[in-house]
This record gives sequence, C-alpha cells and structure tokens, in this order.
Amino acid sequence: MTPRHHLMILLSLLFLFSLAACGDQPAPVKVDMTLREEQASGERQPVITYAYLPQFSHTVSFERHHRLVQYLSETTGLNIQQIFPETFHEHMLMVAQGKIDISYANPFVYALTAERSGAKVFAKIVEPSGEAAFGGLIIARADNPDIRTLADCRGKRWIAVDQFSAGGYLFGLGHFIDNGIRPDDFAEIVFAPGPGGKQESVILGVYAGRYDVGTVREGALELLEDKIDLGQIMILARTPRYPGWNFAARAGLAEEVVRDIKEAMFALDIADPEHRLILESAAMRGILPADPEDFDAVRELVRRSGL
Amino acid sequence: MHAAFHYLSRLSFQTKINIGLALIIVCFGLLLGAINYAVSSRAVLREALLRGEVLSVNLSARSVESILSMNFLRLTNLVTEMVDRDDRKDLVYAFIVDRHGQVMAHTFRDGFPVALLQVNQVGDLQPFGMTLLDTGRERLYDFAAPVMVGSTRLGTVRIALSHSTIKAAIDRLMWINLVATAGATLLALIGSTFFARTVTRRINALRHSAEQVVKGNLDVQISLAPDRSCWEIMDCKEKRCPAHEDRLRRCWYIAGTFCPGCSSHNFPEKLDDCRNCPVYRRNAGDEIQSLAESFEFMALTLKDHIEELRRSERNLARQKQLLNTILDVTPDMVTLQDEELVYLAVNKAFCRHVGREEGEIVGGTDFDIFSDEQADRNFHEDMQILLTSHPLSKEIMTRGGKGKKWHHVVKVPVVENGKIIGLLTTARDITVVKQYQEKLIHSQKMEDLGRLAGGVAHEINTPLSIILGYSQLLLKDFPADDPVAQDIGIIEKQAQVCRKIVADLLSFSRTTEQAAQPMDINDSLREVAELVEHIFRQNRIVINLRLDERIPPISGDKERLKQVWINLYNNAADAIGDDGCISVTSKLCAHRRRLVVAVADTGSGVAEDDLDKIFEPFFTTKPVDKGTGLGLSVTFGIIKDHGGRISAISPVPSEYVDDSPACSGDSGPGTVFFVELPLEGNELPPDECIEIPKKET
Repeated sequence: MTPRHHLMILLSLLFLFSLAACGDQPAPVKVDMTLREEQASGERQPVITYAYLPQFSHTVSFERHHRLVQYLSETTGLNIQQIFPETFHEHMLMVAQGKIDISYANPFVYALTAERSGAKVFAKIVEPSGEAAFGGLIIARADNPDIRTLADCRGKRWIAVDQFSAGGYLFGLGHFIDNGIRPDDFAEIVFAPGPGGKQESVILGVYAGRYDVGTVREGALELLEDKIDLGQIMILARTPRYPGWNFAARAGLAEEVVRDIKEAMFALDIADPEHRLILESAAMRGILPADPEDFDAVRELVRRSGL
Repeated sequence: MHAAFHYLSRLSFQTKINIGLALIIVCFGLLLGAINYAVSSRAVLREALLRGEVLSVNLSARSVESILSMNFLRLTNLVTEMVDRDDRKDLVYAFIVDRHGQVMAHTFRDGFPVALLQVNQVGDLQPFGMTLLDTGRERLYDFAAPVMVGSTRLGTVRIALSHSTIKAAIDRLMWINLVATAGATLLALIGSTFFARTVTRRINALRHSAEQVVKGNLDVQISLAPDRSCWEIMDCKEKRCPAHEDRLRRCWYIAGTFCPGCSSHNFPEKLDDCRNCPVYRRNAGDEIQSLAESFEFMALTLKDHIEELRRSERNLARQKQLLNTILDVTPDMVTLQDEELVYLAVNKAFCRHVGREEGEIVGGTDFDIFSDEQADRNFHEDMQILLTSHPLSKEIMTRGGKGKKWHHVVKVPVVENGKIIGLLTTARDITVVKQYQEKLIHSQKMEDLGRLAGGVAHEINTPLSIILGYSQLLLKDFPADDPVAQDIGIIEKQAQVCRKIVADLLSFSRTTEQAAQPMDINDSLREVAELVEHIFRQNRIVINLRLDERIPPISGDKERLKQVWINLYNNAADAIGDDGCISVTSKLCAHRRRLVVAVADTGSGVAEDDLDKIFEPFFTTKPVDKGTGLGLSVTFGIIKDHGGRISAISPVPSEYVDDSPACSGDSGPGTVFFVELPLEGNELPPDECIEIPKKET
C-alpha cells in the first residue's frame, strides 16, 4: 500500500467524521419572552350576528354560509358575523335573547322562535331541488331483516336529529303518526348528541347499527357519500314536503338593516356565476320573500304531533 | 517517525495484531458511533419536529369548531390539556390566535408574551411553519399551523417544543450509543486478543519448529493429531497400508496408501484427489493447520533428503578416499590438467617426483614446476594432444641426482560430452624393467659368448694337447740344462697356460652335468677361507666370516663352488692389494627358498660402467699379465650351472661394510659380490630377495 492510499483512507475517514458531525440546525430567532400582558377585550365594532341553525357541524355551517355572509356584508356595508350556537335550543335561546340578529333556521324552529320571541321571517330559500319546500327521510340499514316496511319500525330504536329538527324529527314524527305509529310504539327515541353535526350523527348511528331507524332531512345523506357506503342505508319513507328553511330577524332589529339584507338576498341570481357560487355553497338555489303565513302547514304539523 | 516505525517493527507479532485490531476496532467504533449518533440524533430531532408538526396541525384541526363557536373554554382546554398531558414534558406552550391576531387561548400563566405574535408567521397555504426561537433562557422549536376551513383562514395555532428537552433525549441517546460502542469495542478487543493469541500461538509453534529445523532437529511435530484417523473413519482393515496406525501424519501426506480412491501421486499432487474424500473433509484444518502440516512434511522430506545426502556424502568420501589411496599408493605418477593445462589433481608419487607439496602444484602449470625448457616442451606436446585428441605413449630417460631413470609416460585427453576438458597423464617408473631388460640382453650375450668360447676352446684343445704332448716328449730328449730344453720348457709352459685358458673357457661355457651332491655352503666357504687366509695375511688382508648357521645343505658341485669362492676371494684380494678386509656373509633369504653369499672387499671398487661387463670373458681391470679376465666369467658359468645368479655392487652398501676393528681405517669404496643359490631345484624362485640391496640408481 502506497502513502497515497494511506492519505486517501485518512481523508475518507475525516470526511465520514465530518459528515457525522455536521447538522442542519437553523439559526435561532431571538424572542423576548419577558414582555407579557393580559389579553385586552379590545374594541368591537357593532356587528350583525348571523346564525345558522346547527343542524350540521360548525365547519359545514361555516363553509356553507360564510360566502353568503361575506356577500351580505359587502353588499350592505354591515359588519355581519356568523356565529355558531351549539344546539338548536341554544340557537332559539340566543334568538330570544337578541344575540342572533339574523336566524337561518328550519320552519319548526322558526315556528317555535316566532311564537316565543317574536322573531319575524322575511325570506325563504329555494331548495337545490328547485322547490321552496323540503321533506324528511326515514332510513334504516339495508341489511336489517326486521325492517322492511314503515310498520316494522314499531318497537325499534329511533334516532332523530334534534327535538327541534324539522326534517330530522318533526316531519318523520308526523309521517309516523300519519301512518298510525305513535311515539310510544318505539322502544326508544334518541336525539343525536353533541353540538352540531347531528344529521351526520343520525346517519352514522343507523349505519353503525346502534339504532334501527333514523330520520334526517333531504340531502343529508349526500354529506356522507364520500365517508360511508350509502348502499348500506335504505330509505324507508320520504315524508311530505313542508315549507323550507327561512331567514328571520330577531324582534327589534332595525328595519333598515332587515331591508338591506333582504334586498341583498333577493338580488342573488343563480345565473350570476358569483351568486351561483354563493348559493350553491349554501345549498340553495335562491332566496325568496316570505311571510309568516307561509309556514302554517308546519305549525299545523306541530300541533298534530302533539309537541 | 522513523523511530516509531522501528519501535513498532520490533514488537511481537501478537502485539502488532492486537494493536492493529484495536486501532481498527476503535477507529471503526468511533466512526460508527459518530455516524450512529448523528443518524439517531437526527432521527430523534426529526421525530420531535414531526411530533411538533403533528401536534400543531392536530391542534389546528381540533380548534376549528371551537373557534367558529367562539368557545373559549374549549379552546383553552384544548391548549392546556395538550401541554398538561404532554408525557414527554417538552411542550412549552400552546396558544391560538384568531384571524385578526387576537389571542383566543394560551397556556401562559403569567401573561402572554406579545413578542411571540411577531415571529413564525405562517401562510394560508402552508400546512405549518417552524422557527427556532431563542428566548435567552432556552431554545424553542416554535410551530405555527393555520386554522383553515376550506380556503378561509380562521386563525393560527402555535405550539413550542423545548430544544433542551429534545437535546437531553439526544444526549441520552449519545451516552447510550457511547456506552454501547465502548462495550462493543471492549468485547471486540477481548475477542481480537483471543483471536490474536490463537493465531500467534500457532505461528509461534511454527516459528519454534522452524528454529528447531535450522538447528538440525527435523523431528518436529506442530499439528495436532486428528481425533479420528483414516482407518477409523473408513473402517479400513488394511494393516499393510503405510498410513495405518500413523497417528501423527494425515493420510494425504503419505505416499502409496491403499485406499481405492487414493491417488498414486505424492503430496501435493495427491491432495487434488483428496478434496472430496470424507477423511480429508473431516481432518483437514484451516490454512495455518495446512501450513503446519506442510511444514512437517517439508521437514520430513528434508530429513530424508539430508540422510540420503549424508549417505551419498559418505559414499563419495569413501570413494574419494579410496581413489586418493589408490592414486597415492600407486608408484605411477598421475596428474590431471584442465584444458588450460592447469593442474587439477596430482598424486603423491608426482609430488615426490617434482619435490613439491600437492597444494603448490594444484592450480599451477608446468611453468611453475619444471624448468622453462622442459615446461615449454611439455606445453607443446600437451597442446598437440588436446588439439588432435590423439593420446601419447612414450618412454623417456632422465638423469638426475639418483642416476638414470626410465619412465613410461601415457597422456590421454579427457573427453566429456564430446568435448576435451582436460589431460590425464600417467608416468610409470620402468627403470627396473629397463635394468632387467639390460640384464637379459647381457645374459643372452654371455650365453652366446660361452657357446662361442666353448666351441673355440674345444677346437683349440686338441691341437694344444698335441703341442703339449710333443713338447713334453721333446723335453725328455734334451737334458735339462740344454738351452733347447729350456726353450721347449717355455713352449710346454705356455702350452700349459693355453691349456688352462682353454679349460677355463670350457668351464665358462660348460653346460654339462655337474657332480651334484649335498653340501654345506658354510663349510665350503670356511674351507676356502682357511686355504687362502695365510697367503692373504702376507698382504695384511683379513677375511671375516659371518655365516648364517641356519642355512640347510644344498645340492651342488662342491669343488666347482670352491672354485667360485677362490675366484671371488682372489678378486677381492687383488682389488684390496695391501691392508684390507674381505667380509664374507651367508644368509637365508626371507622365504627360505634361496641363500645369498656376499663377498665384500675394501678395495678400489669397480666403475659403474664396468659393473655390467666384469662377467664378460677376457674383461679385466687388472694390469696386463695380471689376469686373463676369465675368472669371473668362469664363476658366472658355475653359478649359472647351479641355477643361481651372481651380481656385483660398487661401492659397498652400508649394511655390508665391515665395521670390525681390523677393517677400520682408510679403505676404498669396495665391491660386493652377491651369489644367490636356490635351496632346492636348479632354478631361483621368482620372488626377490630383500637381503640383496638394489643397485642405487
């Protein structure tokens, strides 16, 4: 072995040592952690609160409506902010307390809200189906041999969205009653737990086999089509359609505010690409003027159901 | 540096292996430890950063609903539970700010450090952002993840991991790594020491054996005997096999084994056929074992070779000694010269001849030994032989301080592989042969002379008898004082002289039957001595008799032998003249088959050239009228008739010089006559008689 080879071996070893020693540590940024302060409340601009009845998760609610809210803010010049009540009940309570200025709710909740807090409906939506009405779905597992007809639901466990849900409870309850099945006939009636996401919870509860029958509103199944095999879900029945979701202003909200918002809402045109994006995000085809009388059928159903 | 290398080179092999392996193990242990530490510390850091990323992204996802619902309690629970439930205790803080930068929840107990809001800004499209913060007290990995709903940003979550905690984990890892590396290195060193000792022990055994071989002890045994040998493995009953019961050597080192699968070759060619043999597969060792076995085989082969060489050497030495003995004992002179005529070998006879030692001659040429003239003559003669390849055979006569010498010289070219490589010269001393040759010629001449003289005498004898008869008749016719009678008396006297001469000549040439009868030589010698003693005494000549009484009686003519002694005594007295001694000796020869009578005088001696002629008729050294020259001739004839031999040497050899007081004084060189007579038969035995000294030549 020549001295040249010795040198090469030595250099190789040095290279390996240096390779092992070197690192890729970034240069640190100096931060003074000593300057501390408690968070101040900060000044808040007057805001118009906009709340979507939490039938879906807050994220879905946000994604569906934040473009509409943003459009309304920009169009009206109002500082409209979307807030997210945890439950239907909280939503109704906040409307009653004046914490929600614009309430986007189902007709059942509206009916109750209007009756209790004097909220006034001013607009209704056109469903993606093109109608200003919607219905509910009674679902079961497709492979449940015990449930083939609606009558098979007797003695079974029923999961509904919320006791204030229209498509997810009220419409289904009315349909059961209309078909001679009383709430007492069920072994159990359970409402989906937790804040938001209740439609999905009902579908997943039936899909998991924890409950035999579920009631959700139309279009809810599509929310989970990329999460579960919808072929496992059988639609036992579709309820009659009732007047759909609507916008209501809390009692005492300035008329001009309501007016500006109404104008902005009614100006939305599905033919306009920008408006179409807003409307489709919010799962609606348009917004129409509405009067309290438009929801009498729902009030009738509530009475009929004994709620 | 050089001194260090020198020091290292003097260390033992085991130490070198230990040091070398230790260096390699330590270097590689350090290297692997360093690499392992670097890789593992990076992995730990990466895992920590990944954890920070996951925590921040997870917090971001979990806080969406709460931010939307402005549920500060849940947000606060989120961040505090995250920090409090951190098992690793490396989460320093967590906080959430809304899209306006307003802090919604945080884990700081004593106020929020507002400076944090200014660092680690993260974009909407980034999944997260990480910045290393230096707070002065510690370093923090600050992670920021945007809280997004769709493409809308709701706020930002921030968490921080303690660098020192991560570093402590890395340091802990480093120590574990270091201890593991050190432990592994220690184990490797122990293993390498054991390995080195195992290897060097066997190499030392080899070295020790090599030293033993160098010292001449070829009976070395390094390799261990196999636990099961070939006849046990193969269940072989062939006790005649050379490998049978040989527990020291493996069978593939033994030639001529009886196994059916065994090759007829010797080691190492045999090994090629043994590779698949179960005996080989079971008993073959590693390379050092093979080396040891090969070394033993080499020593054994060497021993055999050396013994064979020693036998050959003894044989050669014996042959050389035999050849030297033969060459040195042979009276012939033998020399061997190379093609340049330089002497390669000479024998002792040649050394004696040239008067030099062998060492002085070998390596030299004729020019270093002989005179220039002789050397030049030899050179041309030798070169002629070498050039023509014709051998030379010749007889040469040299004269030196010891007289004439005759040599028969043979020069033969030495041919090897068709090429002349030298010259072999032998020179035999043939002086004696030459002398015998001369004697033979002389004898033949004497015989011819005798026959001639006998014939002449026989023819003269008759007229001489008539002359003598008539002259004696005439004497009777004249008175004694008559002058005629005196004249006739002169005629009768001279005729008597002639008759005597003729009788002598007849005696010289007579080959007739003799009157052989048993007789005592000593008595004969004494009788004649007593007869002449008183006459010689007048001239003060003393006869000393030294007779060997052991001589047995021989068959011979007593009277004629007396004549011989009278002739010899008279010749001696004539040679002495006045005042001298005549020493008469009789001896039995060694083989007791002949006797010798030596008659030595203290006279004037005989010239060397005359010694060969004194037995010729009419040859005499005496003055005119003092002798006829027939005395010794007659003596020669008588002795010859008795089957004997007569010879003379002058001067007298020392052992025959009479040292009696009467003989001391001035005396001549003298002459001694030797008469040899056979004790039985009429012919001398062929063996020499050592009592007769050789004529010095």
